[in-house]
Amino acid sequence: MSSHLDLRDVSVSFNGFKALNALNMSVRKGELRCLIGPNGAGKTTALDIICGKVKPSAGTVSFDGTALQDLEEYEIARAGVGRKFQVPSVFRELSVSENLDVARARRTSVLGNLRWNIGNSGREDIERLAELVGLTEQLDRPAAYLSHGQTQWLEIGMLVAQDAELILMDEPTAGMTAQETRKTAELFARLKGKHTLIVVEHDMGFVKAIGDIISVMHMGQMLAEGTAAEVEAHPEVRRAYLGSGGISHA
Amino acid sequence: MPSNVTNPNGLQRLIAQLAPILVVCAIVFALPVLLNNDFLLNKVARYLVLGILTISLGLSWGFGGILNLGQAMSFGLGSYAMAMALKLKTVPVHTGASGLPDFMVWNNVQHLPWFWEPFRSLSFAIAAGLIVPALVAAALGWFMFRGRVTGVYVSIITLATMVVINLVIIDQQSFTGGFNGITDLAQLELFGVAFDAYGRATYYLVAGCVLLSLLVAFAFTKSKAGLIVQAIRDHESRVRYFGYDVALYQIFVFALSAAIAGLAGMLYTVVMEFASPTFLGVQLSLSVVVWCAVGGRQSLVGAFLGAVLVAGMQGALSESAAFLETWTLVMGALFVLVVLFLPKGLAGLAQVVWRWIVQRRQASTRGVAQGVGQTEGST
Repeated sequence: MSSHLDLRDVSVSFNGFKALNALNMSVRKGELRCLIGPNGAGKTTALDIICGKVKPSAGTVSFDGTALQDLEEYEIARAGVGRKFQVPSVFRELSVSENLDVARARRTSVLGNLRWNIGNSGREDIERLAELVGLTEQLDRPAAYLSHGQTQWLEIGMLVAQDAELILMDEPTAGMTAQETRKTAELFARLKGKHTLIVVEHDMGFVKAIGDIISVMHMGQMLAEGTAAEVEAHPEVRRAYLGSGGISHA
Repeated sequence: MPSNVTNPNGLQRLIAQLAPILVVCAIVFALPVLLNNDFLLNKVARYLVLGILTISLGLSWGFGGILNLGQAMSFGLGSYAMAMALKLKTVPVHTGASGLPDFMVWNNVQHLPWFWEPFRSLSFAIAAGLIVPALVAAALGWFMFRGRVTGVYVSIITLATMVVINLVIIDQQSFTGGFNGITDLAQLELFGVAFDAYGRATYYLVAGCVLLSLLVAFAFTKSKAGLIVQAIRDHESRVRYFGYDVALYQIFVFALSAAIAGLAGMLYTVVMEFASPTFLGVQLSLSVVVWCAVGGRQSLVGAFLGAVLVAGMQGALSESAAFLETWTLVMGALFVLVVLFLPKGLAGLAQVVWRWIVQRRQASTRGVAQGVGQTEGST
């Protein structure tokens, strides 16, 4: 089966520091890929490259046959790539339902969006999304009033609303309680198959719970790929995590 | 705009949000009945026009997050478009040879310049008063927002652009009337109605435009595009990752705001009976920001009332003997107080008071239902 997303020899450097050094990665359609690695390995930068926040200095990114590396961020999003940021990024002055409405980017042109929505079409959609992420009670509250965990959930809900084919998640469970983390894992399992997901995560318990294949990055390169057991046994991976007691304690 | 209406029905919620606009406009329309003084009515009309200008700033600043310090530029362009048309309609006694505007004759201009020609048509002038500011804003916005210029740099660029246009108008005296502006205008005549600056017709024209501007701006803020513009205000880069071309939305709200300011400018010429470079001056442009902040920039009605009340107060204070010397100080103090204690302006204060009343009423009815009996706060 041909790959859905393909990164070929992608390099990027910030002021001489090579954040990514000829990174290669390919992800199949409907797969849930976990991306792990020690701090500074380039995990977030890899997501930044895919969604267009950072432009690669060399290499290509292709998604469904489209070359992404030269497109603007909004064009990449229209091609079907959604992104959740490490720091929860929602619209704080808008209500939860308005946040979800913005994320439902069915039409993207200015003139197409001038029409009114009195008939409340889509309201059911938004209520279903809110239920999915447990924010039904908060629908009409400004997002600024949400707790950190709820804000994370809202952004995840917004990505579901966006309905992107490829969803990039940067540490989605950061700041969540154990129970919230479990709920997130359940949600991801549901998204898998319909969407392709790449999840950057530190929580190995979470990674084991959701991931099929784990990619381990180190120093801007792909170090190893495989199931949790394979990766944990990998000698290079053990060396990269040396001093932190191995991958399970990362 | 987060609403405190808990009713999930969208239409009902919409009506509740529309209510302040309708109430304020009803008062505006009813005012001539109470105010039987043409001079005063003209003054109020002037403040209403400034209110429209402030609505336009509220749209770009409060909703779009674009602090346009050169909002008076669009206002001035609209004002000149109207003045040019009305100047060409003055009776021949006031114009020079071959119907040239008097100031052109004084400046030895032989022929009407090409860009004055189309202003012989009033409909062209009115269209130009809306479209020229919008196009100028769109062009300026294209450079700024495509280049991802944000925040204070937008303010500096818009302010500088306005100053440049102001200087060009002052410098090109033979075509624009220079410092003196364009004076001695004919009355506006539309559909057989003559709009005397001190007549009721003019007042109702202005009042109608207040209603129109509020409704257009409201309709925009309630559309999906308006929602996206507010999202851009909150977190510009995040919006891009949902597939929206952020610059296009910013250009649109910037141009729409400019068109409304242009409409206000045209009305100002009708009400004041002249156009002057001060209409696109720094002082007016910054005053609009103050009015907008005092009224509440995230509320269209708030911005409008802020302008009418503060400009009205400015007028009253500067004319009263007691405050002749100190009125700017009073206004400055008011502005500082509002910024310090009412970050959402008077509209924010009104919202807080309204919520308090609703809660009190709910609490008291609950008290009655539980048989606790009437409390002093019940109605």
